[in-house]
Amino acid sequence: MVFLQNIADIFSEHGVAFLKASWMTISITAISLLFAMIIGLIFASFKISSNRILNWIADIYIGIIRGTPLIVQIMFLYYGLANIINLDSFTAGALALGVHTGAYIAEIFRGSVQSIDRGQMEAARSLGMSSSLAMRRIIFPQAFKRSIPPLANQFIIGLKDSSLVAYISVTDLYNTALGVQGENYMPFETYFVVGIYYLVIVLIFTWIAKRMEQKMDVSRPKEVSVA
Amino acid sequence: MIEIHNLSKSFGKLEVLKNIDLHINEKEVVVLIGASGSGKSTLLRCLNFLEVAQGGEIFINAEKIDIAKTDLNKVREKVGMVFQHFNLFPHKTVLENIIEAPVFVKKKAKSEAIAKAKELLQKVGLKDKANYYPEQLSGGQKQRVAIARALAMEPKVMLFDEPTSALDPELVGEVLQVMKDLASEGMTMVIVTHEMGFAKEVADRVIMLADGHIIEEGHPNDIFAQPKHERTQRFLNQIL
Repeated sequence: MVFLQNIADIFSEHGVAFLKASWMTISITAISLLFAMIIGLIFASFKISSNRILNWIADIYIGIIRGTPLIVQIMFLYYGLANIINLDSFTAGALALGVHTGAYIAEIFRGSVQSIDRGQMEAARSLGMSSSLAMRRIIFPQAFKRSIPPLANQFIIGLKDSSLVAYISVTDLYNTALGVQGENYMPFETYFVVGIYYLVIVLIFTWIAKRMEQKMDVSRPKEVSVA
Repeated sequence: MIEIHNLSKSFGKLEVLKNIDLHINEKEVVVLIGASGSGKSTLLRCLNFLEVAQGGEIFINAEKIDIAKTDLNKVREKVGMVFQHFNLFPHKTVLENIIEAPVFVKKKAKSEAIAKAKELLQKVGLKDKANYYPEQLSGGQKQRVAIARALAMEPKVMLFDEPTSALDPELVGEVLQVMKDLASEGMTMVIVTHEMGFAKEVADRVIMLADGHIIEEGHPNDIFAQPKHERTQRFLNQIL
């Protein structure tokens, strides 16, 4: 009973702060993911390209990002580069998260494009389509649909990884929890509460992603339209 | 129509086609036969440059095709192809599959392309399937859509790469019928197939390939009744 009482107290006392912090978590995640999608598209096309130098640039970028911890990348951008460019903590955090997630998204896009049957490209080319037209009209739409489930997964990872920006003093959910439990000395209840906030956000997002996936699934329509 | 001189093609160290000479006339129906690995599909794919031959020359309508200089996309507009596995675009309806290239490659008006597509669907007997997605069709229906899709570009030649090999036996007939109709309309066709009955009935010429060489060619009556080459005899004995 004491546990439930404590939980209720935390909600009533810090509920608004947690809500504001949720907004911070959501916005830094959203901006970083938007950025990551752009980076992902660019580097995926580098990897698919027949140009060796572009392949090589993409390999280096993905290799470095995947090979080093996110927290190191965040610290490097915020503190390490402070003498060269002074980024505010939100910008540095969003940038680091975006660059990080972008490397994984590049691999997701590349994998989806390469998973499309070779016959699709051949059929398109045999109809006189140029390779870029075939990519745009035939390959990408199919690849994008296929990339939604792994992309949703990566977005969820990105959302949870955003908690690391607390270490460069962005007042996100996790940072707020740190502050609250420093005041009330109730780590069990406080982290339980912040866990619920994360969980709710993730569940809402998962639902949206699922809807999107169903909507895009044109090749398996529920009803047959007869004309 | 199509002239091939001394064509050769290798995949790495494997020589698949060796010094092929072939002349295909307008309105001619040519059937390529041969055992698996004989190079017949590769030869077909060289004709629309899905495979690029290392040696030899290809002329289409008396124009020499130079990989480096000729716009291959333009060549492919004139050379339709039908694949063993249909390769329909799964994210597009039957109608969208057919109008895709006319609209985006030939820049035809959409209404015009749709009218033509409906005409072609009527021709292949699938008028009522225009708004279906490929996944909702049987194999035979898919292949007929693929034929309509290739015809929508108004090609001068049609290439068929084992068009019935992936079909259930009872669906083979409907595809062959569409091909027969096409042949009787005077379409120039090059067909890789194991359907010897069809070859006998429709082909003007049968060409037997083995180990990347043309070892025998002639009218189907002659080839099937009195094959001269020992490997042709063996091949036909196995298959018939």
